[in-house]
Amino acid sequence: MTDQAEWFRQLRVELIAAWAIAKKDMLIYYLKPNIIVSGMLFPLFMFLAFAVGRPGTPSVMIPGLIAITILFSASSIEPVSIPLERRMKTFDRLISAPVSLHAVVLGESLSGFLYSIGIAAVPFIAGIIIFNTPVINAAPLIIGVLLTSFCFATMGTLFASYPTESPGDIMSMLNVVRLPLIFISGIFIPLGQIPAIAQLLTYISPLTYGNDLIHAAYSGTTYFSPVVDIAMLLVFILIFQFAANRLYKKFNE
Amino acid sequence: MYAIEVNHISKHFGKLVALNNISFSVAEGETFGFLGPNGAGKTTTIRILTGITVPTGGDAKIFGKDIVNETIAARRTMGIVHETSNIYTDLSAWQNLMFSAQLYDIGKAVREKRGRDLLELFGLWERKDDKTSGFSKGMKRRLTLAMGLINEPRLVFLDEPTSGLDVQSNLIIRDVIRDFNARGVTVFLTTHNIEEANLTCDRVAIINKGMIAAIDSPEKLKKTIQSVQSVEVALDPVPAHTEDGLRQIATVSEVRKLGDKFRLITEDPPAVISGVMAYAKAQDTRVISVNTYGPSLEDVFIKLTGLEVRHHGVKTVD
Repeated sequence: MTDQAEWFRQLRVELIAAWAIAKKDMLIYYLKPNIIVSGMLFPLFMFLAFAVGRPGTPSVMIPGLIAITILFSASSIEPVSIPLERRMKTFDRLISAPVSLHAVVLGESLSGFLYSIGIAAVPFIAGIIIFNTPVINAAPLIIGVLLTSFCFATMGTLFASYPTESPGDIMSMLNVVRLPLIFISGIFIPLGQIPAIAQLLTYISPLTYGNDLIHAAYSGTTYFSPVVDIAMLLVFILIFQFAANRLYKKFNE
Repeated sequence: MYAIEVNHISKHFGKLVALNNISFSVAEGETFGFLGPNGAGKTTTIRILTGITVPTGGDAKIFGKDIVNETIAARRTMGIVHETSNIYTDLSAWQNLMFSAQLYDIGKAVREKRGRDLLELFGLWERKDDKTSGFSKGMKRRLTLAMGLINEPRLVFLDEPTSGLDVQSNLIIRDVIRDFNARGVTVFLTTHNIEEANLTCDRVAIINKGMIAAIDSPEKLKKTIQSVQSVEVALDPVPAHTEDGLRQIATVSEVRKLGDKFRLITEDPPAVISGVMAYAKAQDTRVISVNTYGPSLEDVFIKLTGLEVRHHGVKTVD
């Protein structure tokens, strides 16, 4: 077999393994109580706590709710599943399979990604049916939801690389990052109104670019160019994926 | 080509030396036992040979593939049965098995055929759709073994396969190991059950404090310590202070009480038998059985790992 054929064969094997890992997570973890709380209820209550009573039309609030939902739901599966798998020693099964760590990281992230898309559909549908909030442009919504979901799912996998058997340890660290992101990413305060000193922070938040794209679907305008939003989300995905791969390798040594 | 070739492997965790320059090889089709006390380096060795951990120094090859640089190719040839029964208890036996098969890129028709064969072999077919959370320890262990064999490996790592299992599971698993041998599958077995290694392994390595203390066939290892022969006697009735009395017999270095029998460790069994008869006559009791034994693999293990047998069990010297 030529090197190129072997490369494609292994790529196919890696994708099959990643999908098998994602399916396994769906069957086992989607209905675990701590995932329902952190992935579904937590973003809803966070949003209600900060949005109720503030001025804003549904067309402003719904994209924000979708963005927050994605942030919390996409990054909720792996910080629970991976420490539990370490505790049950099933994680050894994944890291000793004849696939690369990239496939394991991808598979774990895929489960968070799909979960997040399912959960994000709730505020989206509620926006249309209950609040009569139409989508002006579907393309940025679809691209924004897909990329943001995958980005935060990969971030969850990255945090879950910390070698602990307790999901609480990872959730605590993750919330130190997730909670500030809500306030510096233009969800409650439009990006243009954020104080200059905090503007720099908005640029290093992936949620800024995801929220910008999702918001554009409802308002028709973006703060950054859509190309910049997409490019930045892709950059964050690559950084998280490679960092996760490296850390899993390091912590296993 | 060797199934496993280990060359001067070391593994350090900070200042702790888990493995210190160990080398050995395992021939294709061989059943190789890897024995050692807790913390000796057995699990670290398995983690290196399965590509989970990278050695600090040295190299290891699996069927000629370097485990560090050709990890995936090396792993394709092996099946791994971890020490813990690491199955997904929220999934059924069938789902667990199919998941393992997908990790090894086994096509649907083949994995379903093998899955059925393995579940039947391990007596789990009737329970295939049950969640494994309700399985007994032995059933979980059998399923773990089935998952390790789904890719029909040429080399199987078995980490404590029968530890703490019921008789039925033990018998099934031992039969499977014998079957491996007949089919030319290489087995790398770690176990605390020294008798199991004695009965199933072509060769054993004894590892202690990160170093290989001995490596040979069980019988050759036993011959290295002929000083640890023994005479087992049963007396009826058993006089008071019998252990002390038997310990006074010349050349007896140690007396172990084993149920209703006494085992006298010696390098001169005939002299001890005469001594026992004299003791029985003096105590007005009958000798109802006498058996002599050569050194056991356990004796070799105890001697080489620096363990010391006391009246009430085994303790580490250091």
